[in-house]
Amino acid sequence: MEPGSAKRRKTGHSRGESAVGNIDAAASSGLSRGRAFILEAEELLDEVKLDYATALEGVDSLLHKIKGSIEAIETHDALQIAEAATKLEKKHKIQIPFPEPRPSKESNYKVAFAKPSQFNVVGSYVSKTMIKAQKSHAVDMVVVMPGETLQEKDYLDLRYFYKRAYFLGVVAASLQKHLAEDGELSYEYLNGNPLSPILSLKPKVEGEKKEGRLDYRVRIIPCAPDNFFPKSKLHLGATLVRKAGGEDKAATKPTPFYNSTVISESCFFPYLKLLRQTEKKCAAFKKACILGRVWLQQRGLGSDMADGGFGHFEWTVLLALLLQSGDNTRGHAPLSTSLSATQLFKAMIQFLAVTNLSEKPCVLGTATVETETAGPVLFDAARGLNVAFKMSNWSAGKLHQHARWTRNLLNDSTADQFTPTFILKADLPWQNYDLIAHLKYDAKQDRTQPTDCRGRVWEYSDKAYRVLKRALQDEELGERARSIHIQLPKSSSWELTKKPSTKQNHTVEIGVLFNAANMTRAVDRGPAAGPSNEEKEECAKFQRFWGEKSELRRFEGDSIRETLIWSSTSAFDLCEEIMRYILKLHLRVGYLEDELTFHGDGFTELIPIKTTDTSVFNAARKAFSSFEKDIRNLDDMPLHVRQIAPICPELRHASVKVPFSTVSKSGPRPLECVISFEASGKWPESIVAIQRTKIAFLRMIGDLLERSKPGEVRSYVGLESSTTTNTELENLAYLDIVYESGPAFRLRIHSDLEEALLTRQSHDKTIDQHHRHQASVLLSNFRRLYYHLPLHTQSINTFATRFPALSPTIRLLKHWFSSHKLSSHFSPEFIELVALQVFLCPYPWDKPSSPSVGLLRALLFLSRWDWRSEALIVDTNGDMPSAERSAISTRLEAWRKIDPLMNHTVLFVATAQESSGVAYTTVNGVAQPSKVVAARMTALAKTACRVIREEGVELDARRLFVPSTKEYDVLFHLSSKALKSVAGEDPLPLPLSPIDTFFEKLEAIYGSGSSAPLVFFRGGEDEKVVGAIWNPTLGKRAFKVNLGTSYKPVGAAGVSGKKRKGGDEDGEETENEGEVMVEVNRDAILSEIARIGGEVLERVEAQRE
Amino acid sequence: MAPSPPTIGEFSVLPISIPPVPSFPRNVVHYLYVRRNAPKIPTANDSRSLFLANVPVDSTELHLRALFASLVGAGRFESASFEEERKEAEAVAAALDAAPAQAVRLLAAHGKKRKREDQEAAERAEEEAAARLPSTWTRPLRKSGSTAVVLLADEKSVQQVLKAIAKVHKSKKYPKWGGEGNVVAERVPQLGSIWLKAHNQLSYPDRDQLQAAVDAFSTMFARREREAAEIAKRLRNEPDEDGFVTVTRGGRTAPATRNEAEEAKKKMMDKAEKKKQEMTDFYRFQMRERKKLEQEELVKRFEEDRVKLDAMRQKRGKFVPEA
Repeated sequence: MEPGSAKRRKTGHSRGESAVGNIDAAASSGLSRGRAFILEAEELLDEVKLDYATALEGVDSLLHKIKGSIEAIETHDALQIAEAATKLEKKHKIQIPFPEPRPSKESNYKVAFAKPSQFNVVGSYVSKTMIKAQKSHAVDMVVVMPGETLQEKDYLDLRYFYKRAYFLGVVAASLQKHLAEDGELSYEYLNGNPLSPILSLKPKVEGEKKEGRLDYRVRIIPCAPDNFFPKSKLHLGATLVRKAGGEDKAATKPTPFYNSTVISESCFFPYLKLLRQTEKKCAAFKKACILGRVWLQQRGLGSDMADGGFGHFEWTVLLALLLQSGDNTRGHAPLSTSLSATQLFKAMIQFLAVTNLSEKPCVLGTATVETETAGPVLFDAARGLNVAFKMSNWSAGKLHQHARWTRNLLNDSTADQFTPTFILKADLPWQNYDLIAHLKYDAKQDRTQPTDCRGRVWEYSDKAYRVLKRALQDEELGERARSIHIQLPKSSSWELTKKPSTKQNHTVEIGVLFNAANMTRAVDRGPAAGPSNEEKEECAKFQRFWGEKSELRRFEGDSIRETLIWSSTSAFDLCEEIMRYILKLHLRVGYLEDELTFHGDGFTELIPIKTTDTSVFNAARKAFSSFEKDIRNLDDMPLHVRQIAPICPELRHASVKVPFSTVSKSGPRPLECVISFEASGKWPESIVAIQRTKIAFLRMIGDLLERSKPGEVRSYVGLESSTTTNTELENLAYLDIVYESGPAFRLRIHSDLEEALLTRQSHDKTIDQHHRHQASVLLSNFRRLYYHLPLHTQSINTFATRFPALSPTIRLLKHWFSSHKLSSHFSPEFIELVALQVFLCPYPWDKPSSPSVGLLRALLFLSRWDWRSEALIVDTNGDMPSAERSAISTRLEAWRKIDPLMNHTVLFVATAQESSGVAYTTVNGVAQPSKVVAARMTALAKTACRVIREEGVELDARRLFVPSTKEYDVLFHLSSKALKSVAGEDPLPLPLSPIDTFFEKLEAIYGSGSSAPLVFFRGGEDEKVVGAIWNPTLGKRAFKVNLGTSYKPVGAAGVSGKKRKGGDEDGEETENEGEVMVEVNRDAILSEIARIGGEVLERVEAQRE
Repeated sequence: MAPSPPTIGEFSVLPISIPPVPSFPRNVVHYLYVRRNAPKIPTANDSRSLFLANVPVDSTELHLRALFASLVGAGRFESASFEEERKEAEAVAAALDAAPAQAVRLLAAHGKKRKREDQEAAERAEEEAAARLPSTWTRPLRKSGSTAVVLLADEKSVQQVLKAIAKVHKSKKYPKWGGEGNVVAERVPQLGSIWLKAHNQLSYPDRDQLQAAVDAFSTMFARREREAAEIAKRLRNEPDEDGFVTVTRGGRTAPATRNEAEEAKKKMMDKAEKKKQEMTDFYRFQMRERKKLEQEELVKRFEEDRVKLDAMRQKRGKFVPEA
């Protein structure tokens, strides 16, 4: 039996897996899922580990020095606060960081200074859970204010905080005197909490900075003795800050934040103890904490109030509490201490994914918590502290959402779980939110009274959040937004001699993540207006919130409802309209020009994407089905029609331009389809003959159609302009059917016998290699046209319905490719699959709900895709077995082994229907794109992602689409006039657009593989400049017949040298003794192209020789 | 520009000066490589023909005629055949000819060549020409760097041409492409937009013309198929020199189609597969062995993961969280 079963120990609570500590055990017990995840996480832990000795060099001596100098401070007896403060400020020329409102002159609180009762170092420095990649590194030193200087009553009305600030001022004055040469001193708020200023010391570095040494700082945190304040008085519902305004007590609101801050002041040691205990009990605890720290950091979550108030400390406390035994129902802890680090991490994610702290208070231990205090609650009963007191409703939502997304990822065994969880930076605004609004906050305009002590901006934002949540996330109306997030400005440190910044103007950033299905709704149906009291109340409530926008309307089924009618059409505009309206109504913002600005719709204007586009695409589909019906209704068809399948982007919601958009005199753009018939023995048993028979067949279909719909339909048999040499074996013709009403279709016939014959030929050992290869190339072309394209069209169509943002994302991405003149190298199917992948495998986020987010994530994917060693596997069915995945990867490896230089296979893209991986990335047996072009795509995507990262919210969408022509060796300027004249007067559909015809012919002449002298780069049809690069691999070489392109002899002087037979010293010539070298005759080639192009080419510009 | 060497190997280098074009106003020199024609299978005209390598992509017979006229005077040039044309003609002929491929192969296997009378060959060529589809281009282009064979009036002309080429190098007066003043350009179909426009129209050929080509093909194909069937039938009854009778597909009446044969094979394989499946997990040892294999597979996969991880570690930076 399994050797691992003996080792199986007690099962973990949250997951059913066996508790396995190390990797070897994992291997032997056959723990297969997430195996790689465990290994990679171990590797990550190694990688981020900090070498404390070098990184925080000299910190211990510094801490001792600080301690010594604080202990040396003279004590003094109680003085009037105002008097003491002025004395101190005058004497040392510093400011005391009193919290707002500052103590009044006449207040008779007394402050004293005595030697601190205790010093200690706490936080991640002692638990050794700091990591390299942290934003800033700090060593926390707590200084306990002696009990005799405090009174129990001090928890009231900020009194404690005034004393604390005075204490800090004294310490600051002393340190400034004694440690001025050791480093820079400044004040900052502990985690952005305006009640608790602290002192931070940034040590000076003497001489050369050593490698690996970090720019750390020491934070000196004054605090109260353990359990100094009575917890019973400090419960979340208590009102402890009374207004000076003399309002009566009953009316004032509770101050949960203030209360929690007071408790937290005396909790440093209890938590230190808790964490030390847990560390001892659970071996993997520290590692799990580091993993948690990385995860939180990549999502922009941190202990700072502006970062959401849930950081590493909160993570460790929560994990420690979950590992604690005792208080739970059956007497044992929710998590077992024998779990491994990754298991603990996963358990935490699971916990955070199922608990939304802002919706349901989470109590660990036994305690009753006032639930009406709105705000996230994570209550530690043993210490009486709401650990989540710094969090806001939106940050709790963000945490919950990210945890859910990560859980989805960890449950998806097929995706790469590690990279999105820990490596990817997941907090860039544009990859997260569909709309970002900037709300300018001006304290002068704000007349509301602050109730708690979080600061006025915070309270203002909270109000805005509540209004927006009700407006956009109303479940009755149908949730419009999946999440709303508010980013507050961060507090910064300030000098000792200054007061904390009292900036009046702040910009609050509001991010909205759409629910794509509901955001486009233009009519909101509110509660029904009925006679009952309940209904009346509902309506009144609705009216109160929505104001005059709400009106009564009658709907079908005779229901009369409160209704909101919005005038915009697109999701973005609707959201903007609603936000502007509701914020104006409830917060009185938006009257001024730039008070409220919206960002995020820059992308849709580029193509442009309109809300009506979907219906145009649907109209094209409808036209296709009526065409299909027309064909099926034909009476005299010799064979029964099995299927008519569309194969073009217009019929799968994926073309940059909507169908029927170009009404040019060159006739409509034909929509391509393939037709297949019932199996028949009548097809001749020869490919050549089949192709000819198809022509006759097409002609007949055309005739029959024209006869059945006289005057409505015209048909033309067109000949394919072949690019390969074996013309007779390929499909020779197509049928163009033009309806007088507008749409045009292009039909090709599928004959199954053709495939059988090609398969046979490609395996036939009796014919020579060259012909066999030809047959296999033709076979893959055949399969793409008649099997893969119809299936691909069908699946993209389905997904476009399922994901409303997919179609515009595809179109934007295609536009990006063509803006950068790459579209001729990439098949449209490839681009569509890349866009689809972003939806099917959206980790670490959820699937995009707007085109801009879709595009940016697709670019992120392209920039990170290591196509040299990874296949792109698009699981279109959603249930691809892992065996098939590994088979695909193996196939890629095999290709790379056969063809390490990637001359034949470059990008490898497999789907559930098409597992060969090359159907969309090879054309006529040549890799498309080639390695050079694929590398250019990656480079461009990387640049784009860098721009996105650097520009942040201010990103100008157009910047991503600006092509650069600098890199090209040659530029071909096309004459639009001449191109127009090519189209001619005859309103026939064009076989191809003139530019395509021209350049495809050029590629046929000069070759398109790795041996082509010129690589052309062209974008869409409207592009007037085509770039080209000389193939760098075609250098000097020996002359022979059929070099494949135009060559000129070089080095005439060398000719005589060569005749001397080896008497030459020249290195280059000794290599190729006796041969004259030739090189590509670039000018001659350009001249040839100019002659072929005639007036179509306005100018051929050689940028580099 | 550095002077070009007069010869490369057995080729004489013939520089051609190409007049500037409005969109690319530069004087350009194109190099043609010329030698006496010596194909692997000699023909009667080899002595009076020249082999040209690296012909310009827009070459026509008129272009070459003008070129040789400027070298050795008019009247020496007879005709030119381009690589593309030869290849295409061969490919088409092969494709059309290979139609009843089976018959041809049978004959080849049997050591017999179809003997064709001259008259018959001419007839076939005519037939093939009729069956060919109309071209969609008014003027063909040559593949870059391709070759051509030029037939001159007599052996002496070949000598003269080679001498003239040598002289060109000394005098530095390169012959002009398209003749003096580019006179040829007016006599050949124009390229550029007119050429592209014509292509658009030619892509939709006349229906009757198309039908005629298809009809001609089907008659030809039907006849050849009949011939092939007859040959196959005959071969079945005819022993070869060693006294063996070739076994051909099909019964006494008609040869079976390939399709039927393949279907039958597939059916047989399916049957075998089904039988095999019935026998798995029949005995306990089979089950045990399978489980053992699965376990081995797991260990193997784990090892693979570790190897992959090592590979990832090679690419430094994979494990560092992005900033």
